[in-house]
Formats: sequence, C-alpha cells, structure tokens
Amino acid sequence: MSTVADKPPALAEDEDQPGFALQAWRRLRQGELGPLPALLALALIWAAFQIANPNFLSPRNLSNLVSQTAAVGTISVGVVLVLLLGEIDLSVGQVSGLSAAVMTVLNVQHGIPGPVAIIAGIMTGALIGLLQGFWITRFGVPSFIVTLAGLIGWQGALLYVLGQTGTININDPVIIGLTGTFLSPVVGYGIGVLAVVVYAANLVIGQRRRRAAGLEAAPINRLAVRIGIVAAAILVAIGVLSADRGVPLAGLILVGFVVLFDLIVRRTTYGRHLFAVGGNAEAARRAGISVNTIRLSVFVLASTLAACGGILFASRLFAVNYSSGGGDVLIDAIAAAVIGGTSLFGGRGTVWSALLGAFVIQSIENGLDLIALPSTVKYMVTGAVMLFAVTLDAIARQGRQASGRA
Amino acid sequence: MHKLRTLTLVASMGLIAVIVASCGGSSTTGSTGPSGKIGLLLPESKTARYETKDRPLFTNKLKALCPNCTLLYNNANQDSSVQQTQAEAMLTNGVKVLVLDPVDGKSAAAIADKAKQQGVPVVSYDRLILNTANVNFYISFDNAKVGQLQGTSLLTALGSKTNPSIVMINGDPADNNAKLFKQGAHSVLDGKVQIKKEYDTPSWSPDKAHDEMAQALTALGNKVDGVYAANDGTGGGAISAMVSAGVNPLPPVTGQDAELAAIQRILAGQQYMTVYKAIVPEAEQAAQLAFDLLTSASASSMTNGKTTNNGTADVPSVLLNPVAVTKDNVKTTVVADGFWTKADICTGTYVAACTAAGIN
Repeated sequence: MSTVADKPPALAEDEDQPGFALQAWRRLRQGELGPLPALLALALIWAAFQIANPNFLSPRNLSNLVSQTAAVGTISVGVVLVLLLGEIDLSVGQVSGLSAAVMTVLNVQHGIPGPVAIIAGIMTGALIGLLQGFWITRFGVPSFIVTLAGLIGWQGALLYVLGQTGTININDPVIIGLTGTFLSPVVGYGIGVLAVVVYAANLVIGQRRRRAAGLEAAPINRLAVRIGIVAAAILVAIGVLSADRGVPLAGLILVGFVVLFDLIVRRTTYGRHLFAVGGNAEAARRAGISVNTIRLSVFVLASTLAACGGILFASRLFAVNYSSGGGDVLIDAIAAAVIGGTSLFGGRGTVWSALLGAFVIQSIENGLDLIALPSTVKYMVTGAVMLFAVTLDAIARQGRQASGRA
Repeated sequence: MHKLRTLTLVASMGLIAVIVASCGGSSTTGSTGPSGKIGLLLPESKTARYETKDRPLFTNKLKALCPNCTLLYNNANQDSSVQQTQAEAMLTNGVKVLVLDPVDGKSAAAIADKAKQQGVPVVSYDRLILNTANVNFYISFDNAKVGQLQGTSLLTALGSKTNPSIVMINGDPADNNAKLFKQGAHSVLDGKVQIKKEYDTPSWSPDKAHDEMAQALTALGNKVDGVYAANDGTGGGAISAMVSAGVNPLPPVTGQDAELAAIQRILAGQQYMTVYKAIVPEAEQAAQLAFDLLTSASASSMTNGKTTNNGTADVPSVLLNPVAVTKDNVKTTVVADGFWTKADICTGTYVAACTAAGIN
C-alpha cells in the first residue's frame, strides 16, 4: 500500500508512461502476455456456449458460475502464491477436504457452533501448511515430494476423521450461508460503489505522490478512463447478479481473497521478497532476504487458502464425504493458476490469474453440463484449453528471452 | 557426514525390515479344522460401505467359519492397475481362494485368468468380472432390479402428475453396475416421464452431481418434477443444488446404499427414497462361498441354479433382493437390522424427524 515509486523495474506499471498503446504492443511482442490468453479463451468459450445454449449468459447461469468458481478459485489463489515461489503444492485438494471434514465433525458431532468450527477448519489448514513448510525448509526436501506425501497422507487422515459413517450432512445455517447467501441489490451496489471509490482514490493518490516525487505520472484523463472501465465492469457484474438472486457471498469471498493477496503480493515488502525468491532464490538470499521464512509462510498461506476453499465446497454440498477434496480439485486449482497466466517457472504471475483461470475452467464444466454433454468431451476440452494457454506462456517465454527480459 | 549417511541408510533398512515383517502376517496354527489363506480385494475406500461394512463383516464371518484361516486384505482405491498388482501379490503369497470386487469389471478378467492358471478359484463380489470363463461364483444384488426399484419408487412419488419432467443423474460410466442401474431405471421410466436432462457422473462424485443438477435447473428454469439419482452421494449433490437454486418444495429424489446421511435426509423430508442392500447377507454369504471353495464343499446350493452371463460364460450366481426404503419403513429395515442405530441417526437436527417416524 505504501510507495509505488520504489518497485523493481520488471514489475513496474509501464502504462504510466507516454505512448500507452505503443508500449502495450511492445510488451506483447516481448512476450508479456499477462492475462491475455485466458481472456481470449474465456471470450471464445462464452461465445461458443451462448450459441449452443441461450441460457448460458443468463443471470441465473452466470450466478451459478460465480458460486461454482468460488471454491476452486480460493484454493487456486494459494497455488498461485506457491507457483510464484517456483515451488508446487500437490496437497491442496486433500487439505481442503480434511479441513472441511474437521469443521464438519466438530460442528455436527461435537456441537461446536458454526463460526468456531469454521475457524477450527481454517486453523487445521494453517497447521498442515506449517508442518509441510517446516519439512520443506528445514530438511530441504523438495516441495513436490513433501506435498505429494501430503496428498496421500491427508487422504488417510480424512477417512480417519470422517470415521465409520462416511458422508456427514451439514445443517448449520452459518456454514451453509457461506455459499447460500445472496446479497440484496442495495448491499451489492453499496459494496460495488465503495470498491470503485477506493480504487479511484488509490489511483489518484498514487498519481499525486508520483508527481510530488518528480516521477513520470499518467495524465488525469487516462486515470479517468481506467477508473471508468473498472467501475463499468464492477457495476455490470453486480447488475447481472442482482437480476438473479443477488451477488453470491461466496463470489465476494473469492474476490476479497484475490484483492487482498494481490495487494500483499504487489504492494508490500513481503510480496517483493516473494517475487525475489521465486525469481532467483540464491540472489534473494545474498540480498539479505530470509528465503526460508518466505517459503514457510507461503506454504502456510497455500494450505490455509485450501482450507477456506474446502469449507466453501462443503458449504455448497451441505455435506462432506470420503471424496471431499479428491477428484479434480487439485488439477483444477493448478490448471486455473496456469491458464490464468502464472508461470510454472516461478517469479512471474499475478493473483488475479487464479480468478481468471478458475473462471475459464468452471465455464467449460458449466457449459458442458448445461448442454449435458458427456464427461469424455469435458475432459478433452479442458485439457486442450490448458495446453493452449500454457503453450502461449512458453512461446511468450521465448519472446522474453529473445528480448533479454527473462 | 559420511558416517551419518551410512547410519541413516542402516536405520531406514531396519525400518523397512520391520514394516515388511509386520505386513507378512502370522498364520495362527490351530490344532483342528481346515486352514489356508483367503484373499479379499475391495475396490475403493471413498464409499463408506467397503471399509466400514463389507470388510469387517466378511472378516468376522470367516473367522467364525474357519478360525485357522488367514485373511489377506487389500483396497485398490479406485485404480484397476493397483488392484491387479494387489491380486498378483496375493497369488504369490499363496491364497487358496480369491474374493474380488473389481474396480473395473473388464480389466479384472486378467486377474481371474491368472488365478485360474494357479488353480485358485475366484468369487466375483458385488460387481461382476466380465468376459472370462474363470469366475467360479458371483454374489451381488440384482442390480437391474435396483434401477427398476428406483424408477418404480420415483413413479409412485410422482403420483398422478401428467407427463412429469425428470432429471437423471447416473453413476460412474466406468462402473458396470452403474450401467445396470441406468438400464433398469430406463426400463421403468421411459415413456411415462419426460427425461429432460441426463448425466453420467464420473467417480460418482457428489460435487459433480451438484454441478450437473445446478445446470439442469438453469436449462429447465427450475421446472423439475422428480430426480433420478443413482446413489445417495449423487442424490445429496442434487438436493443441495436444488436448495441453492431455491426449488421449493423439493421434488422426490431417489438414492441407493442407505448411507447414514441419506437416511437422515429421508427422515427430514429432503430425499424420497434410498435402496437398502443388506450388506450383512452379502458379505457373510461371500465368506461362506469362499470357505466352501477352500474346503472343496459344493457351494452351488446357495445359488438355486441361478446364473449371470458375463459376456463369455454363465456364472453361477447368488443374487440378493434390494429393498426400497422411504420414510415409512426406515424403522423396519435399516434400524431393525442394526445397519444404523437410533444413536447414529437421531442426532442434532434430526431428533424431531426421528420421533415423527417413530424411531425412539
């Protein structure tokens, strides 16, 4: 939140310089694709499904889409953080299931109130992250191995926690309310307007500071255009969702996580250290960054976010069962981050890619279910989209190398 | 440093030795009666029944029949190549009878053929091993009848509604039983209802079922008169999707397996029915079949001459009858059998519903 001026050059917002369009084109040529492939994919997918079924872009279905995206998107935010570090966390799916199971067992079988049980579930995730992060940093075991062990081990713990009965129904109104609550239009628009005001104020203050510090700053009319675009996007989204049941609380939770972690990653010292470690751990160490502390904290964050995602899954299903957190959850969470434009090679990507990628994946599943196509097609299409997005990233990487930026 | 590494190596070797030794099992050598190793292979651990019902019931019955026998057990966690490896390990360990619940009926034929080469008889448990002549017995429920039972119950619940619209949420397309349930249900429902949307649900995933139902509701504008769900997990997914979409009152939803969560939903009026397959007789009769095969006694008396065609041969079959459970007969079926006790079912928010159903 502090100073924009002292960002490292690779992360600087180049559009704050003259010749914006030219700059943007140059960045594309140099392989700075950012979210472009994912946005392109999303547009294509939405257009195709809208042609196949006119219900696809209806408020009801877009509302479904937001609710469906919330859980995977939340888990994916944690995956993005780990990927930025150049590491991997394969245990997020099982951790999400286990944390949700702990919450449910405490709530249903031990009568602990919903909010306390939710916190206990989240703490379970944090503790698991602490354990895995400690193991990775203390013993130098690759994160791939430690979290692979987690993938297998936490599955066993899930079966143990659920015990003999298998599926457990959730009836707690607070837990169910996490995904079952829809904000009234007044509240929805209120939050939307507030978000726009904060965003605008942030931009304007940032620009004043740059000017006061004698740096180049964007002219006020360009700021106005940016604010206008963001305001339009937010208000249209709220308008569409309000035409159905209102803005889903789960969607708000996801966006909240994305904004929070985006700010942490881009605007804090911690975030810059994270990028530094992901870009080149040895260089970061020599620069005096405590590499292990950063690593440990990121694994804690990833597991904690996985727990939050698992709780959203359970809230949506009104139940946890032996397959909670299994199946496609892990693959979807990683694919979402990668499709959204976060590099698998560390040090490059944004938290927004989790949201965007999760939307792409969920749009495919949503649309194919809407026209009731068999799952054979669903898997193949999801695979193809992922390959397409990652290929673009790889080509872009070559472009960056050619222009000396990677 | 070098010394430390050697020490670690020695320590881990020791650990491995201990693990291997403890897994080897110790056959209790009694003085009288038959003895031998019997292998039980179950397909997965994500559905509640296998680890919590089938395995202990089979183990206890076998222990009662044959105190000197050793049971080797493994669970394939829904991976057919893992199951093949587990079966090979059991054959290497010298099992005399193999009781196999295949992950995948077709690929399990390889296991049955290998067992035959070593003279080991095979019991196909719950799911049929397909396309091989080397299966000695098949024990299961009449699975086409399960689908019919679900379909008939749904029609009963729909009552006199003219040309009702339903959504079908079937099971895993890789599971032969899921195919039979689907066929059975279609044989009853086709022509009497409009099937507006139909899905196959990979891995029987409740989360997937939730998404499928949410999308069906969107496509149909929430107009659904009934839902055919192949089991309780998918039924639960469909119900949560309908509640989220604001469908009220809930239309009748079918299920299968008599999971605790489903029994609770039935009592609370959210789910219409489930299919109760008494796992007690299935597991115990399978243990009996295995024991008969071990002692070379004729086991055919249990089949009453029934057979099931698996694509290659007519396999002598023990086919048990499934029962439809609705709110009215929870007490006289699952509770009376001790499948679930009152203490299991009547917790928290379900106490009132239990009392209303006369379970107390």
